[in-house]
Amino acid sequence: MPYPEQMVEPMRAELTSAGVKELRSGADVDAFMADKPGTSMIIVNSVCGCAAGGARPGVKLALRHAKKPQRIATVFAGQDTEAVQKARGYFADVPPSSPSIAIFKDGELVHFVPRHAIEGRGPEQIAQDLTKVFDEVC
Amino acid sequence: MGTFHNDKSELHGITVVVDTKGAKVFVGRCDDMDDASVILLDADEHEDGKGGKSKQQYVERAAKFGVWKKHERLVIPRAEVASVHRLGEVFQAVHGGTVANAVQPAAKVIAEPKPAAPPVTKDANTIVTLTPNAQVEVKRLLGDEKPGAGLRLSVKGGGCSGLVYKLEFDAKKDGDVEIPYAGFSLFMDKKSTIYLRGITLDHQKGLQGKGFVFHNPNASNTCGCGESFSV
Repeated sequence: MPYPEQMVEPMRAELTSAGVKELRSGADVDAFMADKPGTSMIIVNSVCGCAAGGARPGVKLALRHAKKPQRIATVFAGQDTEAVQKARGYFADVPPSSPSIAIFKDGELVHFVPRHAIEGRGPEQIAQDLTKVFDEVC
Repeated sequence: MGTFHNDKSELHGITVVVDTKGAKVFVGRCDDMDDASVILLDADEHEDGKGGKSKQQYVERAAKFGVWKKHERLVIPRAEVASVHRLGEVFQAVHGGTVANAVQPAAKVIAEPKPAAPPVTKDANTIVTLTPNAQVEVKRLLGDEKPGAGLRLSVKGGGCSGLVYKLEFDAKKDGDVEIPYAGFSLFMDKKSTIYLRGITLDHQKGLQGKGFVFHNPNASNTCGCGESFSV
Protein backbone atom coordinates (compact mmCIF):
# COMPACT_ATOMS: atom_id res chain seq x y z
CA MET A 1 0.00 0.00 0.00
CA PRO A 2 1.54 3.33 -1.01
CA TYR A 3 2.42 5.81 1.70
CA PRO A 4 0.60 9.14 1.89
CA GLU A 5 2.12 11.37 -0.77
CA GLN A 6 2.84 14.14 1.76
CA MET A 7 5.12 11.73 3.62
CA VAL A 8 6.94 10.69 0.47
CA GLU A 9 7.33 14.10 -1.12
CA PRO A 10 10.46 15.08 0.88
CA MET A 11 12.10 11.80 -0.16
CA ARG A 12 11.33 12.51 -3.80
CA ALA A 13 12.54 16.10 -3.44
CA GLU A 14 15.83 14.99 -1.89
CA LEU A 15 16.83 13.58 -5.28
CA THR A 16 14.95 15.85 -7.68
CA SER A 17 16.43 18.93 -5.98
CA ALA A 18 19.83 17.54 -6.96
CA GLY A 19 18.82 17.46 -10.61
CA VAL A 20 17.66 13.84 -10.76
CA LYS A 21 14.75 13.38 -13.17
CA GLU A 22 11.83 11.56 -11.64
CA LEU A 23 10.11 8.94 -13.79
CA ARG A 24 6.51 8.45 -12.64
CA SER A 25 5.17 6.14 -15.36
CA GLY A 26 6.26 3.23 -17.53
CA ALA A 27 6.22 5.55 -20.54
CA ASP A 28 8.58 7.94 -18.72
CA VAL A 29 10.99 5.04 -18.11
CA ASP A 30 10.87 3.82 -21.70
CA ALA A 31 11.47 7.34 -22.99
CA PHE A 32 14.44 7.74 -20.63
CA MET A 33 15.95 4.38 -21.63
CA ALA A 34 15.34 4.96 -25.33
CA ASP A 35 18.12 7.51 -25.31
CA LYS A 36 20.85 4.86 -25.36
CA PRO A 37 24.17 6.44 -26.37
CA GLY A 38 26.41 7.37 -23.44
CA THR A 39 25.89 6.67 -19.77
CA SER A 40 22.80 6.75 -17.60
CA MET A 41 21.81 5.87 -14.06
CA ILE A 42 18.50 4.91 -12.45
CA ILE A 43 18.09 5.13 -8.70
CA VAL A 44 15.30 3.00 -7.24
CA ASN A 45 14.25 5.22 -4.35
CA SER A 46 12.51 3.75 -1.33
CA VAL A 47 10.60 4.75 1.79
CA CYS A 48 11.26 1.67 3.85
CA GLY A 49 14.47 0.09 4.96
CA CYS A 50 17.64 1.14 6.64
CA ALA A 51 19.32 1.81 3.36
CA ALA A 52 17.30 4.60 1.77
CA GLY A 53 18.27 7.14 4.41
CA GLY A 54 21.90 6.78 3.38
CA ALA A 55 21.33 6.17 -0.32
CA ARG A 56 19.73 9.51 -1.15
CA PRO A 57 22.41 11.74 0.39
CA GLY A 58 25.03 9.33 -0.93
CA VAL A 59 23.76 9.81 -4.47
CA LYS A 60 23.65 13.58 -3.99
CA LEU A 61 27.26 13.60 -2.83
CA ALA A 62 28.33 11.41 -5.74
CA LEU A 63 26.66 13.76 -8.22
CA ARG A 64 29.10 16.50 -7.20
CA HIS A 65 31.88 14.39 -8.71
CA ALA A 66 33.43 15.65 -11.95
CA LYS A 67 32.64 12.44 -13.80
CA LYS A 68 29.08 11.20 -13.62
CA PRO A 69 26.46 9.59 -15.87
CA GLN A 70 25.08 11.83 -18.58
CA ARG A 71 21.45 11.10 -17.71
CA ILE A 72 20.25 10.41 -14.18
CA ALA A 73 16.74 9.40 -13.18
CA THR A 74 14.83 7.87 -10.30
CA VAL A 75 11.77 5.73 -9.75
CA PHE A 76 10.08 5.29 -6.38
CA ALA A 77 9.52 1.73 -5.16
CA GLY A 78 6.17 1.10 -3.51
CA GLN A 79 4.78 4.38 -4.84
CA ASP A 80 5.08 4.51 -8.62
CA THR A 81 4.61 0.81 -9.21
CA GLU A 82 4.31 0.85 -12.99
CA ALA A 83 7.46 2.94 -13.42
CA VAL A 84 9.43 0.70 -11.03
CA GLN A 85 8.27 -2.47 -12.76
CA LYS A 86 9.25 -1.05 -16.13
CA ALA A 87 12.64 0.11 -14.83
CA ARG A 88 13.35 -3.30 -13.33
CA GLY A 89 12.65 -4.76 -16.75
CA TYR A 90 15.87 -3.09 -17.90
CA PHE A 91 17.84 -5.05 -15.29
CA ALA A 92 15.64 -8.12 -15.15
CA ASP A 93 18.50 -10.52 -14.41
CA VAL A 94 19.15 -8.84 -11.09
CA PRO A 95 16.94 -9.71 -8.09
CA PRO A 96 14.78 -6.71 -7.21
CA SER A 97 15.70 -4.68 -4.16
CA SER A 98 15.17 -1.13 -3.02
CA PRO A 99 16.87 1.18 -2.70
CA SER A 100 19.21 0.16 -5.47
CA ILE A 101 21.15 1.84 -8.25
CA ALA A 102 21.63 0.72 -11.85
CA ILE A 103 24.25 2.21 -14.14
CA PHE A 104 24.05 1.76 -17.91
CA LYS A 105 26.44 2.38 -20.78
CA ASP A 106 24.96 2.59 -24.26
CA GLY A 107 21.79 1.05 -22.87
CA GLU A 108 23.54 -1.97 -21.32
CA LEU A 109 23.61 -2.54 -17.57
CA VAL A 110 27.26 -2.21 -16.50
CA HIS A 111 26.96 -1.85 -12.71
CA PHE A 112 24.32 -2.54 -10.11
CA VAL A 113 24.32 -1.54 -6.44
CA PRO A 114 21.86 -3.78 -4.57
CA ARG A 115 20.20 -2.78 -1.32
CA HIS A 116 22.49 -4.92 0.82
CA ALA A 117 25.51 -3.00 -0.48
CA ILE A 118 23.93 0.19 0.85
CA GLU A 119 22.59 -1.02 4.21
CA GLY A 120 24.54 0.22 7.18
CA ARG A 121 26.83 2.42 5.09
CA GLY A 122 27.07 6.17 5.38
CA PRO A 123 26.43 8.64 2.53
CA GLU A 124 30.18 9.26 2.16
CA GLN A 125 30.91 5.55 1.72
CA ILE A 126 28.07 5.14 -0.75
CA ALA A 127 29.24 8.20 -2.68
CA GLN A 128 32.80 6.87 -2.70
CA ASP A 129 31.63 3.57 -4.21
CA LEU A 130 29.58 5.36 -6.84
CA THR A 131 32.28 7.83 -7.87
CA LYS A 132 34.70 4.93 -8.28
CA VAL A 133 32.26 3.40 -10.75
CA PHE A 134 31.68 6.77 -12.43
CA ASP A 135 35.43 7.09 -12.99
CA GLU A 136 35.52 3.66 -14.61
CA VAL A 137 32.38 3.89 -16.70
CA CYS A 138 31.71 7.54 -17.54
CA MET B 1 17.97 11.79 20.79
CA GLY B 2 18.86 8.15 20.73
CA THR B 3 17.47 4.94 19.35
CA PHE B 4 13.74 5.31 18.92
CA HIS B 5 12.71 1.72 18.34
CA ASN B 6 14.62 -0.92 20.16
CA ASP B 7 11.72 -3.36 20.10
CA LYS B 8 13.59 -5.25 17.38
CA SER B 9 17.10 -6.66 17.23
CA GLU B 10 20.01 -4.55 15.96
CA LEU B 11 20.00 -6.38 12.62
CA HIS B 12 16.37 -5.49 11.91
CA GLY B 13 16.02 -4.38 8.30
CA ILE B 14 19.47 -5.60 7.32
CA THR B 15 20.03 -8.31 4.71
CA VAL B 16 21.84 -11.17 6.42
CA VAL B 17 23.35 -14.57 5.76
CA VAL B 18 22.14 -17.16 8.25
CA ASP B 19 24.30 -20.24 8.15
CA THR B 20 23.01 -23.34 9.88
CA LYS B 21 24.78 -26.21 11.55
CA GLY B 22 23.32 -28.40 8.79
CA ALA B 23 23.47 -28.20 5.00
CA LYS B 24 21.27 -25.14 4.59
CA VAL B 25 22.14 -21.48 4.41
CA PHE B 26 19.60 -18.65 4.21
CA VAL B 27 19.79 -15.09 2.90
CA GLY B 28 17.07 -12.57 3.68
CA ARG B 29 16.18 -9.34 5.40
CA CYS B 30 16.33 -9.76 9.16
CA ASP B 31 13.05 -8.91 10.80
CA ASP B 32 13.97 -9.92 14.31
CA MET B 33 16.30 -12.14 16.26
CA ASP B 34 16.04 -13.38 19.82
CA ASP B 35 17.01 -16.38 21.92
CA ALA B 36 14.45 -18.57 20.19
CA SER B 37 14.74 -17.77 16.50
CA VAL B 38 15.97 -15.64 13.64
CA ILE B 39 13.12 -14.29 11.50
CA LEU B 40 13.86 -13.41 7.88
CA LEU B 41 11.68 -11.62 5.33
CA ASP B 42 11.93 -12.00 1.54
CA ALA B 43 14.35 -14.87 2.05
CA ASP B 44 16.06 -17.41 -0.16
CA GLU B 45 17.68 -20.68 0.89
CA HIS B 46 20.38 -22.93 -0.50
CA GLU B 47 21.48 -26.44 0.33
CA ASP B 48 25.19 -27.18 0.26
CA GLY B 49 26.20 -28.75 -3.06
CA LYS B 50 22.82 -28.25 -4.74
CA GLY B 51 23.21 -27.21 -8.38
CA GLY B 52 26.95 -27.79 -7.99
CA LYS B 53 27.25 -24.82 -5.65
CA SER B 54 28.71 -24.93 -2.18
CA LYS B 55 27.28 -22.74 0.55
CA GLN B 56 30.21 -20.36 0.15
CA GLN B 57 29.75 -20.10 -3.63
CA TYR B 58 26.05 -19.42 -3.15
CA VAL B 59 26.73 -16.68 -0.60
CA GLU B 60 29.36 -15.04 -2.82
CA ARG B 61 26.89 -14.92 -5.70
CA ALA B 62 24.17 -13.58 -3.38
CA ALA B 63 26.59 -10.88 -2.23
CA LYS B 64 27.17 -9.75 -5.81
CA PHE B 65 23.59 -9.70 -7.05
CA GLY B 66 21.16 -10.32 -4.17
CA VAL B 67 18.65 -13.15 -4.00
CA TRP B 68 15.27 -14.00 -5.49
CA LYS B 69 12.90 -14.54 -2.61
CA LYS B 70 11.46 -17.99 -2.03
CA HIS B 71 9.87 -17.18 1.31
CA GLU B 72 7.94 -14.08 2.38
CA ARG B 73 8.75 -14.89 6.01
CA LEU B 74 10.96 -17.57 7.44
CA VAL B 75 11.49 -18.53 11.07
CA ILE B 76 14.79 -20.30 11.72
CA PRO B 77 15.16 -21.89 15.17
CA ARG B 78 18.15 -20.38 16.95
CA ALA B 79 19.37 -23.86 17.92
CA GLU B 80 20.01 -24.58 14.22
CA VAL B 81 21.89 -21.32 13.60
CA ALA B 82 25.68 -21.44 13.32
CA SER B 83 26.26 -17.82 12.35
CA VAL B 84 24.57 -14.62 11.24
CA HIS B 85 26.42 -12.10 9.06
CA ARG B 86 25.47 -8.99 7.16
CA LEU B 87 25.40 -9.78 3.43
CA GLY B 88 26.80 -6.29 2.88
CA GLU B 89 30.00 -7.35 4.66
CA VAL B 90 30.41 -10.19 2.21
CA PHE B 91 29.67 -7.79 -0.67
CA GLN B 92 32.40 -5.43 0.49
CA ALA B 93 34.83 -8.31 0.89
CA VAL B 94 34.05 -9.63 -2.60
CA HIS B 95 34.55 -6.19 -4.13
CA GLY B 96 37.64 -5.61 -2.02
CA GLY B 97 39.19 -8.79 -3.35
CA THR B 98 38.97 -10.88 -0.19
CA VAL B 99 35.87 -12.95 0.31
CA ALA B 100 34.72 -13.08 3.90
CA ASN B 101 33.91 -16.52 5.14
CA ALA B 102 30.23 -16.05 5.92
CA VAL B 103 29.71 -19.79 6.05
CA GLN B 104 31.38 -21.27 9.04
CA PRO B 105 30.71 -24.06 11.49
CA ALA B 106 31.41 -21.98 14.61
CA ALA B 107 28.31 -20.89 16.52
CA LYS B 108 29.05 -17.22 15.99
CA VAL B 109 26.19 -14.76 16.01
CA ILE B 110 27.01 -11.12 15.54
CA ALA B 111 23.98 -9.50 17.13
CA GLU B 112 22.63 -9.65 20.62
CA PRO B 113 19.01 -10.52 21.44
CA LYS B 114 16.71 -7.53 21.67
CA PRO B 115 16.25 -5.91 25.10
CA ALA B 116 12.94 -6.37 26.86
CA ALA B 117 10.40 -3.54 26.72
CA PRO B 118 9.89 -1.70 30.02
CA PRO B 119 7.01 -2.94 32.18
CA VAL B 120 4.26 -0.32 31.96
CA THR B 121 0.62 -0.48 32.96
CA LYS B 122 -1.46 1.18 30.27
CA ASP B 123 -4.93 2.51 29.94
CA ALA B 124 -6.32 1.20 26.65
CA ASN B 125 -7.44 4.71 25.72
CA THR B 126 -4.05 6.29 26.33
CA ILE B 127 -2.44 7.55 23.15
CA VAL B 128 1.09 7.76 24.52
CA THR B 129 2.49 6.41 27.77
CA LEU B 130 5.59 7.87 29.42
CA THR B 131 7.41 5.53 31.77
CA PRO B 132 8.39 6.92 35.21
CA ASN B 133 12.00 7.20 34.00
CA ALA B 134 10.91 9.23 30.98
CA GLN B 135 8.77 11.53 33.14
CA VAL B 136 11.67 12.21 35.51
CA GLU B 137 14.00 13.03 32.62
CA VAL B 138 11.46 15.28 30.89
CA LYS B 139 10.93 17.20 34.13
CA ARG B 140 14.67 17.53 34.63
CA LEU B 141 15.17 18.88 31.11
CA LEU B 142 12.14 21.15 31.32
CA GLY B 143 13.69 22.83 34.33
CA ASP B 144 15.68 25.01 31.93
CA GLU B 145 12.75 25.88 29.68
CA LYS B 146 10.29 28.78 29.83
CA PRO B 147 7.25 28.44 32.13
CA GLY B 148 4.33 26.84 30.26
CA ALA B 149 6.58 24.78 28.04
CA GLY B 150 5.72 21.13 27.70
CA LEU B 151 6.95 18.18 25.74
CA ARG B 152 5.80 18.05 22.13
CA LEU B 153 5.81 14.68 20.41
CA SER B 154 5.13 14.49 16.70
CA VAL B 155 5.70 12.37 13.63
CA LYS B 156 7.22 13.69 10.43
CA GLY B 157 7.91 12.16 7.06
CA GLY B 158 11.53 11.15 6.55
CA GLY B 159 14.16 8.75 7.76
CA CYS B 160 14.84 5.42 6.17
CA SER B 161 11.61 3.74 7.22
CA GLY B 162 9.38 6.57 6.16
CA LEU B 163 8.38 8.24 9.41
CA VAL B 164 10.46 9.77 12.18
CA TYR B 165 9.59 10.75 15.72
CA LYS B 166 10.27 14.30 16.81
CA LEU B 167 10.64 15.39 20.43
CA GLU B 168 10.90 19.05 21.41
CA PHE B 169 9.94 21.42 24.16
CA ASP B 170 7.13 23.72 23.12
CA ALA B 171 4.01 25.58 24.30
CA LYS B 172 0.50 24.30 23.68
CA LYS B 173 -0.95 25.21 20.26
CA ASP B 174 -4.53 25.39 19.02
CA GLY B 175 -5.91 21.96 18.23
CA ASP B 176 -3.28 20.11 20.24
CA VAL B 177 -4.10 16.94 22.15
CA GLU B 178 -2.80 17.41 25.69
CA ILE B 179 -1.93 14.66 28.15
CA PRO B 180 -1.20 16.04 31.63
CA TYR B 181 1.59 14.53 33.72
CA ALA B 182 2.79 15.63 37.15
CA GLY B 183 4.71 18.86 36.53
CA PHE B 184 4.32 19.09 32.75
CA SER B 185 2.04 18.31 29.81
CA LEU B 186 2.60 16.29 26.68
CA PHE B 187 1.36 17.97 23.48
CA MET B 188 0.62 16.31 20.15
CA ASP B 189 -0.96 17.61 16.96
CA LYS B 190 -3.97 15.54 15.91
CA LYS B 191 -2.38 14.18 12.76
CA SER B 192 0.54 12.74 14.69
CA THR B 193 -1.74 10.92 17.13
CA ILE B 194 -2.78 8.61 14.28
CA TYR B 195 0.74 7.22 14.23
CA LEU B 196 1.49 7.53 17.95
CA ARG B 197 -1.44 5.64 19.47
CA GLY B 198 -0.23 2.91 21.80
CA ILE B 199 3.43 3.87 21.95
CA THR B 200 5.50 4.00 25.13
CA LEU B 201 8.29 6.51 25.62
CA ASP B 202 11.02 5.33 27.97
CA HIS B 203 14.31 6.82 29.04
CA GLN B 204 17.39 4.67 29.56
CA LYS B 205 20.36 5.90 31.55
CA GLY B 206 23.86 4.61 32.10
CA LEU B 207 26.72 3.71 29.78
CA GLN B 208 24.56 1.27 27.81
CA GLY B 209 21.50 3.52 27.93
CA LYS B 210 20.15 5.05 24.79
CA GLY B 211 18.38 8.14 26.11
CA PHE B 212 14.75 8.44 25.04
CA VAL B 213 13.49 5.21 23.48
CA PHE B 214 10.18 4.55 21.74
CA HIS B 215 8.37 1.23 21.87
CA ASN B 216 5.81 1.24 19.08
CA PRO B 217 3.52 -1.80 18.85
CA ASN B 218 1.99 -0.44 15.64
CA ALA B 219 5.19 -0.13 13.65
CA SER B 220 5.15 -2.71 10.86
CA ASN B 221 8.69 -1.85 9.93
CA THR B 222 11.51 -0.15 11.76
CA CYS B 223 15.12 0.02 10.82
CA GLY B 224 18.59 -0.34 12.20
CA CYS B 225 19.50 3.32 11.87
CA GLY B 226 17.42 3.92 14.98
CA GLU B 227 15.54 6.95 13.77
CA SER B 228 12.55 5.91 11.78
CA PHE B 229 9.64 3.54 11.46
CA SER B 230 6.68 2.75 9.25
CA VAL B 231 3.16 1.62 10.01
